[in-house]
Amino acid sequence: MTAAANRPAAAERSAGPLSPHLQIYRPQLTSVLSFAHRLSGVALGLYSVLLVAWLIAAAAGSAPFSSMQTVMRSPAGQLLLLAGIFCFFLHLCGGIRHLFWDAGYGFDLTAIYASGWVVVVASVTLTAIAWFAGSVM
Amino acid sequence: MGHATHEVSILIIRSSSQMPRKSLLQRFPVPKNLGVSPGSRIVQGRTWPAPATATRVRTFDIYRYDPATGDNPRIDSFEVDLDDCGPMVLDVLIWIKNKVDSTLTFRRSCREGVCGSCAMNIDGTNWLACTRFVAETRQRATIYPLNNMRILKDLVPDLTHVFAQYALIEPWLKTKTPAPSRERRQSPAQRSEVDGYWECILCFCCTSGCPSHWWNADRFLGPAVLLQAWRWLVDSRDEARGERLDELEDPFRLYRCHTILNCTRTCPKGLNPGKAIGGIKKMLLERRS
Repeated sequence: MTAAANRPAAAERSAGPLSPHLQIYRPQLTSVLSFAHRLSGVALGLYSVLLVAWLIAAAAGSAPFSSMQTVMRSPAGQLLLLAGIFCFFLHLCGGIRHLFWDAGYGFDLTAIYASGWVVVVASVTLTAIAWFAGSVM
Repeated sequence: MGHATHEVSILIIRSSSQMPRKSLLQRFPVPKNLGVSPGSRIVQGRTWPAPATATRVRTFDIYRYDPATGDNPRIDSFEVDLDDCGPMVLDVLIWIKNKVDSTLTFRRSCREGVCGSCAMNIDGTNWLACTRFVAETRQRATIYPLNNMRILKDLVPDLTHVFAQYALIEPWLKTKTPAPSRERRQSPAQRSEVDGYWECILCFCCTSGCPSHWWNADRFLGPAVLLQAWRWLVDSRDEARGERLDELEDPFRLYRCHTILNCTRTCPKGLNPGKAIGGIKKMLLERRS
């Protein structure tokens, strides 16, 4: 306790500035994919509202459904749909990566980076396949 | 070691000592003062020119804060003569302190990566200044103190809080059985369970580089402390595993870890806090079933 008494009072010490963190820390695959996973999760929550709106429009008859289709077929609607599909696959692949970690696998740095890039490539590829499949059907 | 630290990688990082060959972004595209209280905002400081005799000049932008004036923290630019200076970032700081500005304040002791005193944010990631080569830094290198800490002066953070968190896990051997006449014995296999964890030097590079700890430093214990908790959980001589797990089973203390793994990426001792935390979560799950 004498050591503590020799130090400045807690209030005085905590008066110093807080050093920067997010503002200066270098983006890395680890943090970027984690942020992307959480943000895509939030986005999917919002997309589920859009999906329900779409289904309600379909149930309400042909006129509401065709106006909904007009919105979704516009360039902005298509972009929204593409982003939604990407969010879905990013969150799916990232979620599978998390399951491996939860089971205790894939914690070596090499595995962390390899699985991270697999998530990136797989979600882009699956988005492209889904988009292509949707456009030919 | 010298060779390994110079290795650069494009996609796959195999060791925390590796630097990326290219970084798309040097910092996240957020406003510089996002969520920063007025007293913590960083202003532009002064430039300290190199001596006229300098032959190989490199500029280091260094975070400064002087509690005597109470002014906002600032970034001072120091032009350093690399031909007159040792090879490590710590040598640069000592060169500046000896030859340019003796008020520059930082912690250092062993200068060989075993004491953990000179942990700081160099070019955007946390590492020990004594084991980071100047040759590995950017042409205009930046040096900040450890992230998300109250700053006492310049590069010296107040570590009271993180050491209080360390004390919370009671990092000592706890036994219930009577002490044997000689030491408590371990087989080599039992002893190897703490390998990769006993080497932690408590520099707090990982904890201060953890986004979850940035948002919940008050309640989330952070990777360094949780790695230490794991070190005692897997020690075969320790007889308080149940109580230790009880203390950790908490939505904030442990489960604010979202497996971001900035910790494993940045550990200057090449340890794996992320794996240790995964081990704790798994141990809690196994206990429940």
